[in-house]
This record gives sequence, C-alpha cells and structure tokens, in this order.
Amino acid sequence: MSWAWFHRLGSPKWFYGRFKAWPKPLFCLACLCLMVAMVWGLAIAPPDYQQGNSFRIIYMHVPSAILAQSCYFFMGVAGLVYLVWQIKMSPIFLKAVAPFGALMAFIALLTGSIWGKPTWGTWWVWDARLTSVLVLLFLYMGIIAVQSALEERSLADKAAAVVSVVGLLNLPVIKYSVEWWNTLHQGATFSITEPPSMPMAMWLPLLFAVIGMYLLAAAVIMWRMQTEIMRREAKTHWLKQEVLSDGV
Amino acid sequence: MTYVSFLRAECHLVWRRKQNVINSVLFFLLVIVLFPLGIDATPMFLSKAASGIIWCAAALAILTSVESLFKEDYHDGSLEQWLVSGLSVPILVLIKMTLHWLFIALPLLLLLPVLSEVLYLPDNSFWPLFISIVLATPSLFLLGGIGSAVTVSLRQGGVLMILIILPLYLPIIIFATSVTKAAQVGLPYDAPLAILAAIFLVSLVVSPLMTAISIKASVN
Repeated sequence: MSWAWFHRLGSPKWFYGRFKAWPKPLFCLACLCLMVAMVWGLAIAPPDYQQGNSFRIIYMHVPSAILAQSCYFFMGVAGLVYLVWQIKMSPIFLKAVAPFGALMAFIALLTGSIWGKPTWGTWWVWDARLTSVLVLLFLYMGIIAVQSALEERSLADKAAAVVSVVGLLNLPVIKYSVEWWNTLHQGATFSITEPPSMPMAMWLPLLFAVIGMYLLAAAVIMWRMQTEIMRREAKTHWLKQEVLSDGV
Repeated sequence: MTYVSFLRAECHLVWRRKQNVINSVLFFLLVIVLFPLGIDATPMFLSKAASGIIWCAAALAILTSVESLFKEDYHDGSLEQWLVSGLSVPILVLIKMTLHWLFIALPLLLLLPVLSEVLYLPDNSFWPLFISIVLATPSLFLLGGIGSAVTVSLRQGGVLMILIILPLYLPIIIFATSVTKAAQVGLPYDAPLAILAAIFLVSLVVSPLMTAISIKASVN
C-alpha cells in the first residue's frame, strides 16, 4: 500500500485541491442525518418511563458532549504532530477546530443544565463531570485567545499546539469522572463497543444524531480549514491560479 | 556557561530581587485575609473552608509569581544566551523553576502552622494539607512556566497567561482539597495523593520540554 497520500496531507495545496468539493455533500449528509435523528428522537421515539418527554434533550446533549471531547482529542494529537514534525496543516487544523469544539462544549453544558432542572431539580451542581467539561470550555477559550493574541504567526501556532497538548491532561478526568466520583451525573449512555442499555427505538436516533454531528463537524472544519489555507497562502501562485480559474 | 554557573547566577538573581518573593508571600497572606472578612469569620465556617482557602490563595500567589518568570530574561537577552549556550534548555528551565519553587513554597510551608491556627484548621488535617502542598505546588509551577513562556513576548501577557493556565490548575486544586476533606472525616486520603503525584510526574516530564519549545518560538 502506498503511503504517498498520507505524506501529501501535510501540504496545504494538496489538501485544498483534494478536498475542495467535500464539505458541501458532507454538510448535506449531516443535515439529513441530524434531521432524521431529530424527527425520530423528538417525535417518534417512546417517552422514557421515568423522565417522560424531558429525556429527549439527550439527542442534543450526548452528541455535543461527545464532539466536544473528540475535537479536543484531535486538537491534542494535531498539536503533538506539529511540535514533533512541524507539519504545516496542523496549526490550520487547530485554528479550524477550536471554535467548533468550544461551541460543542457550550451546547453540552447548556443542554445539560436545561436537562438537569427537571430531573435533578437544579440547574447546576459542582460535580466532577460538569466541572471538568466547564474546564474544557475554558481550555478551548484559552487556545482561541492565544491564537488571536499573538501577532507572530509561527509563535501563535506553537503556543496553541503547546496548550492543546498540555490540556489533554483534562480528558481522562472528564472521561472517568462519572466512574471515579459518586455524582448526580449518570454514567455513559452511549457506547459503540457495548450493547445499548436502552431500547433500540431510543438508541438508533441517538446513533443517527452522533453520526450526523460528526459529519457536521467534518464539513464545518473542512470549510474553516479551506478559509484558513487561503488566508495563509494568499501570496502563493497556485492559489491565484485556483481562484482565477474556479472562483472562491 | 555551565549548569553550575547558571544555578549560581540564578541564586544571586533571586536573592538580589528578594522583593519579588516577599511580594508574592504578602499577596498570599492578603488573599487569605479576604476570605474570613468577605464571607464568614466564624470558626464553624472557617474550619471547614480553611484548606480550600489556603489552596486558592497559594494557587493565585504562584500564578502571579510565575507570570514574570521569564520576563526579565527575555528583555535583557538572557533567553537568547540560553539557546546559544549549547546547554539543554529543558534542564535550564527545570533548574530555574526548582529554584523559584523553593523560594516561594518554603515561606508558604513555614507560614502554614500559623495560618492553620488562624483559620481554625482541624488538627487531623494539618499534615495531609502539608503533604498535598509539597506534592502539588511543583505541578503548579511547572504548568505555569509553560504559560509564562508562551506569553513572554507580549507586553500585557498576564491575563492571557492566567486564561491559559488556570483551567489546568483546577484538577490539581480539586484533588488537593479532596485530600484534606477526606482527612477531616477520617477517610483514607492516599488515592487523591497518588493522583497528585501522578500529575506531578507527568508535568515534570512534559512541562520543561513544552516550556523550552515555547521559549525557542518566542525568542526568534
């Protein structure tokens, strides 16, 4: 098997050309998936025997929480790749992911808080899961702040990579917080490797929602990466040709 | 420049600028005074809150003292000398941080008996608090050093540095205060201590490397 495609991934030009047409179909597919998930989850799935209809917010809460953590994990990996191999695409990826991840963490916190009011009787508790996701949101904010505050681009890229690698420390805390501590927050509801603990009629829309959210992330991040590539490579010849022949 | 001459020069520097150390200790004391005056001065509240108050004040004092760790070196060109000296930058970083940790943490530990009397800390949680401070403040220094190196070239880097580093401090503070909380109710507290030790070891490995990378990127 040839690994040339993997090495080429490091080149902004190759990436731009190769994946130029991808975001739009991905975005449509994501919208379709999310729509199916929302209609199925919000209207068709049976109400929970304990929580009634209020459990339906799970179809926003769980996907966004999963995405918030996945995005951070990928940022940490990209940061490490940049620090070790200095690959040009890594900081572009970092810059594209950070706001999306921050948004996901915010949605997870917000929907969790709205869900907490009818089930726990409170908007917010200082338990480990909630606090560590709040820390995750602050980490995203810190990375975005670093990227925008440092004028010199190479320094900003390095700094963002360093912070995202160091911040990986927080991920196991989030992951195991519901197992290490006795908290109000329930254990993991969603796992690919184990048989689902809830009925199929509830679990399948959740699966659709998670897949749809991943597709949405892929589409949005690719779009943002293309914008960032154009910003960084504005002076290069290939981009001029590209814009002249195809438009933006 | 050798490691020994570097250590001696750094010792001289810290000693000549004793005011920095004194300032951060004073800051620590002032933050501690704020809590009883601002919230509640009764022994019942304070004995429960003492370890948390001491920990928050310590984290803030360390944060303010770490913020300027590399500032002067950056402005007077010392950081460039580190890079061209042929010595390993992570080890230089580690030496400097160890020294600063000694100068900040020792006064805090010496003040601890007095503070625990003033804040009505229960007797059975004094030593757990002491151990947690010895074990966890190095991690605060090591992680703070990264933020300090990242923002060293900024004129107003302080707020940005706090924004980056404070989220990383939160897990450490949570585990550190759960040590004394467990001790107060008579539960075993070796598990949070073990996690604090793990965080210390991880940051001991990762932080000097990351700080060195940030210094190299900042100096160019």
